[in-house]
Amino acid sequence: MKVEISRRRFLQGSVALSIIGGTSIGATSLLSDENEHGEMRIMTRTTNTKAQKVPFLCGMCVNKCAGIARVEKGVVVKLDPNPYFPKSRNMLCPRGNAGIQTLYDPDRLKYPLVRVGNRGDGKYKRVSWDEAYDAILNGTDKFKGLLQILDEEKDNRSTIGYCNGEGLSKEGFEELMGLKIGTPNYVDEISICLETVLGGYSATIGAYGEADMSNADYVIIAGANRAEAIITPDTMDMFKRSKGRGLKTIVLDPRFTNTAAKADRWYAVNPGTDLAFVLALTYVVFDENLYDKEFAKKYLVGYEDYKNHVIKNGYTPQWAEKITNIPADEIYKTAREFMSSEHPIYYQGRRSVFAKNDFQLRRAQAIFQGLSGNLDKKGGIIYGKKLALPKEDVNSPMYAQAQDRFDKEGIAIFAGKTGSWIVFRNMVLEGKNPYPLRAMFMRKHNPMAGVPNTKKTEEFLKKMDLNVMIDILPSDTTMFCDVILPEASYLERTSPVASYGFLEPAIVQRKAAIKPMFESKTPEVIYKELAEKLTEPLWKNSLKYDEDVQDDTKGMKADELAKYYKENGFDLTEPWEKSVEELNKERVVKAFGEEAWNTLEEKGVYYPNMDKYHKQLNPNEYQYYPDDKKNYTTKGDKLKVVVNFKNLAKKGVDPMPTWHDEWAFKVPDGQFRLVTGRHAQFTQSGTTNNMALRDLIPTNYIWINKREAKKRGIEFGDMLEVKSSIGKIHIKAYPTEKIAPNMIFMLHGFGGSSKEMEMAYGKGGNDAAIIEDKIEPVYGAAVMHETNVEIRKV
Amino acid sequence: MANYGMALDYKNCINCKACEVACKEENGVQLGADKHRIWVGVKEIEGLWPNLSIASSTFEPSQCQQCENAPCQEVCPTQATHYTKDGVVMVDADKCILCSYCMEACPYDARYVKEDTMTVDKCTFCSDTRLLRGETTTACQATCPTKVRTFGDLDDPNSEISILLAHREHRTLKTHLGTKPKLFYLI
Amino acid sequence: MFVLAEKGMKIIERFIPMRHTDIRELLKFEKTPLNLLVAFTTLVFLVLFVVGATNYLIHGHHAYGVTREHPWGLMIAMYIFFVVSSTGLCIMSAIGHVFEVEVLEPFAKRAIHGALVTLLSGFVVIFLEIGHPLKMMIYNTISPGLTSAIWGMGVLYSLYLIFIVIEFFFLLRHDHKWAKRFGIFGLVVGVAAHSNLGAVFGFLVARPVANGIYYPLYFILSAMVTGCYLIFLMYGFKYKLNFPPEMQKTLVATSKILGLLLAILLFFEIWRMLTAIYGGMEDRAETALHILKSSPFLVGEILLGIVIPFLVILLSNGKAIRTMVFASLGGMVGIFFMRYDLVHDTQLYPMQTLKLREYQLPPSFIEYFPSTTEIFIALGAIGIAITLYYIGDKILYLETDPD
Repeated sequence: MKVEISRRRFLQGSVALSIIGGTSIGATSLLSDENEHGEMRIMTRTTNTKAQKVPFLCGMCVNKCAGIARVEKGVVVKLDPNPYFPKSRNMLCPRGNAGIQTLYDPDRLKYPLVRVGNRGDGKYKRVSWDEAYDAILNGTDKFKGLLQILDEEKDNRSTIGYCNGEGLSKEGFEELMGLKIGTPNYVDEISICLETVLGGYSATIGAYGEADMSNADYVIIAGANRAEAIITPDTMDMFKRSKGRGLKTIVLDPRFTNTAAKADRWYAVNPGTDLAFVLALTYVVFDENLYDKEFAKKYLVGYEDYKNHVIKNGYTPQWAEKITNIPADEIYKTAREFMSSEHPIYYQGRRSVFAKNDFQLRRAQAIFQGLSGNLDKKGGIIYGKKLALPKEDVNSPMYAQAQDRFDKEGIAIFAGKTGSWIVFRNMVLEGKNPYPLRAMFMRKHNPMAGVPNTKKTEEFLKKMDLNVMIDILPSDTTMFCDVILPEASYLERTSPVASYGFLEPAIVQRKAAIKPMFESKTPEVIYKELAEKLTEPLWKNSLKYDEDVQDDTKGMKADELAKYYKENGFDLTEPWEKSVEELNKERVVKAFGEEAWNTLEEKGVYYPNMDKYHKQLNPNEYQYYPDDKKNYTTKGDKLKVVVNFKNLAKKGVDPMPTWHDEWAFKVPDGQFRLVTGRHAQFTQSGTTNNMALRDLIPTNYIWINKREAKKRGIEFGDMLEVKSSIGKIHIKAYPTEKIAPNMIFMLHGFGGSSKEMEMAYGKGGNDAAIIEDKIEPVYGAAVMHETNVEIRKV
Repeated sequence: MANYGMALDYKNCINCKACEVACKEENGVQLGADKHRIWVGVKEIEGLWPNLSIASSTFEPSQCQQCENAPCQEVCPTQATHYTKDGVVMVDADKCILCSYCMEACPYDARYVKEDTMTVDKCTFCSDTRLLRGETTTACQATCPTKVRTFGDLDDPNSEISILLAHREHRTLKTHLGTKPKLFYLI
Repeated sequence: MFVLAEKGMKIIERFIPMRHTDIRELLKFEKTPLNLLVAFTTLVFLVLFVVGATNYLIHGHHAYGVTREHPWGLMIAMYIFFVVSSTGLCIMSAIGHVFEVEVLEPFAKRAIHGALVTLLSGFVVIFLEIGHPLKMMIYNTISPGLTSAIWGMGVLYSLYLIFIVIEFFFLLRHDHKWAKRFGIFGLVVGVAAHSNLGAVFGFLVARPVANGIYYPLYFILSAMVTGCYLIFLMYGFKYKLNFPPEMQKTLVATSKILGLLLAILLFFEIWRMLTAIYGGMEDRAETALHILKSSPFLVGEILLGIVIPFLVILLSNGKAIRTMVFASLGGMVGIFFMRYDLVHDTQLYPMQTLKLREYQLPPSFIEYFPSTTEIFIALGAIGIAITLYYIGDKILYLETDPD
């Protein structure tokens, strides 16, 4: 950004001396070091001085582990794990540890910015917060403001779209944009992430549940990479007992992952064919009567239909072998082992939707789990409990001019709240939206990297009259925005208190370790100030166009009108009358008392009887709840597994998991199937600029089978062009036997195009630029593994 | 007076490298891929897809072995590398002349050049950071998701590490060199 | 400056017989094409030295191609190259004037001069290798690491320097009694220092290819070979290959000794390789095979360094002393590769054999190539050695019989 201060001054201005640095000599080297490549390196070191220890919740990924920030002289010098939180069990992963590098990232957004050049050219002007809010409301000579847009659209609030990435302050943004300003057009990460997993499990066993990996003795992990895509507590619980130490582990993945390295057996399943594997397992179980008959009779609704269905369709292991690349014998063995285990789990798996049949795959998995009877009990998939926190309802106004959301094309079950990113974007691009979509309000979200087909996302953003971004880093998407509002990072803000459920429920609070740096503000303060700026002008716009409001307020005097405005929720500022800190205290005290609040403030975690239950077992491990107090069984007789879901048929969805031949894995000769995934040292595009993590993974590479690479004369580090039907990228080659000859793999999230993220810019390839924007038919979620590509050495 | 060592339940390791980042942040280890005090290693996998050897892909977390008979200490011309009273092999940066002999002598590649002082640096078992503040774990142990490491006093028969080593089989790295490493890999 | 230097020289002249000379005189030499070539090359080398050293002083070890896995590079190799030369010349000199093997006596003084010159050049190089040379002098003294071969080497080479300076002093004064006494000290300490330098590598328990008794012995042996080569070069240059009869006798004797030494050296190399490859240690065997296939070893060490000079001696019965001057030139190139390889080969086998990052090739033999700065300093050090030698040759009486 043109107004940026230099990197050295960034540090001098903001960070005190306890950040130590590298080779260069002189005063500034105490702070930083620019090496030969011009990259700056800063590192913290703890000392013996008195330090504050502030409990926080990690914000480096969506998992939210608890930690304690060590703050020396106003500088966060170390992030340690918090031993009180049962979910994260006294650990921080590499990303959690590297949070300091995100906090002190020299490329952070520091001031509100307003675009003065063209979209994408990076020309911005530093402005005050009020000027920024004013630009949102009234626009500038470069772009239209919200008021003009709403005026032109006659107060159709639905002309505004908004999106938000996962996080604790997401709800507030939804309140502001959806409930208060009044647009239904919301998209978020869910439709490019695990929508069908949640949907499939909820539809079948009533919830996603939690796998009790501490007590399970057999687990099938298919398409989930828990060693690299870390989820707490699953990751910790699984791998302490794998490798012949109590938890037999079967891993299915087209690629040999670090999870596969911890397995007893690894099956190189063809992408998108897991469903055939589960159906064949189910076939064996029905054919050999291995299932828990009593349990099935009691809880599995329509399992006999399913039995007939599976047997009749001949989903035998021999049939599945051809589809999945897993030998029939192995399928027999796995099915028998699974059902003869005491606590077997077919791991649900949290991940993006890979194939079009993912919803049915999840249904089949959940039913298979049900057939073992290992549900709602110790060592199985459990439902658990959650500690309730009171929440005040938002007084949401009714806007007569606002219209329904439109992104329903090609979707069987329309998930009203979050919609489908791909359908939403593509319909706007194709002009299929029934009314104009003219503005995007975005927060902590980078659809340029996250939503398949970057080119289309760029066009979509360029089509808007107004783009607003609230974020901490100048992401690819940020560079297409007109007004940029710098947010405080997770270590600089107290977030709304959160409740974590399941086996060992607790409430947790993220506290600000330091004050927001530069001119950044916490999200709730931004919502509040934005609401204050917008509320009056937008109300006047409603008065001008909204016939219901006009009818209601006809002939009202000023004070009556003011009362109407307040009572009917048109006052946008109402949810933020109290600060986050005040609200947190109020809610916790109300639910659990003053003592609980004190515990939460000090330790970051609270649950009833914590003082009695919480014990250190050894230098590494803690007891959070005694075994008899864990919520292993909570459903009891209310447990229900919907096997034959007849209502689905009405929407054109198979009522029972069924294989369709078009789902078979096919790659034309000379092409490769592109698969994507995660490494433990990297979240998504948001961590590409993190210097500590960049040491571990400087860029992404394309995995290509060694023999295939040799045939094509490709060696490690050679630059390849990877081309799909929608685009091409350049990326370096990594020949390895860990992938099939007709597949390639790349890590998601690299290949950033924003020049303002200096470490990330130009590093690796962006998978979203080549993944075709296909959706699965149930919710319209993006499918990530159905793109074939060609490669070429360049 | 203690005799610090570390036991590693290495089969727990998932190669996430949280330990490496925690070590860097705690101890101010310089950024840069070759500047690391601790690491997780893995062999290139054996076999051809899809018949790969899972066993060949074992993760081996490691760091300075804090040898009882440390070759690096033996070769240091200025006694910059020395044993502390707690049995930790440390480098006194003031005395280090950067002859790099210790880097040649270390069989474990545990040493590197710290570029702000241009002296040799290595794992200290957090002696000058965490232990100095009275903490009882190292940064790598504390942060580990799967709790690979147990740090403690080998001379104290009641310490967790002594109990672990008494009850479980273990091995050390490059034992044949006679360095007497104090990093024990639990089998 | 010059005035001061000349005053200093005058004082020295009271104690040491010297040619009366001034700066102008010093720069005068016969303008033969060979002399001009050597002069020009030396000048270029000295300029490169200044450039290289300056770059090192600004950027430290960043200016070198050394890494975590390969911390020692060309500087260490050059240092060894020079100090081996020094020891070799010292030993060869001692054979004549200490052990009174008359036929080798003529080059005693010149050889000690050469020993001094190469030792000083070696010290220049090591000062530019050690990260903190001043700290070294302090802490080597007040905090000695007695078990360290580098410490021992530092002490012994310092003593060695003192002894050969004194030895040289008495030699120049024709005080054979004292020269001999200090010659013995110099020889003993020199051999000790030098075998200790071999032990710097021999002590490395982590590096099986270097570990053991081989290097200390080999260092002494190859030092003597180096000494012989340098004697051939010094006299070949001095007499422009037209050796007076007395010198012919000396050089024939030298070449016969050299022949014997080379035979032993070859024998050493063969057994080193055989025991390494068939000795049952996998990493050592792999490393040895890797070395065996490398051209610096085959062409440099073996062909240039041993076989060609050996064949010249063998085929001529030691009499082809003119050819030996050229063979010695090649021999010194071979000797350089012996030093370079010994440093590099020691570090060839990685101490870290596992992959630490997903996106890397599995570690294999460590690669190293000197940076420009290192090459500049190395060539520069040769320039320094030639310059010092030239000055000594110009102002001192380096032949046994000055009158």
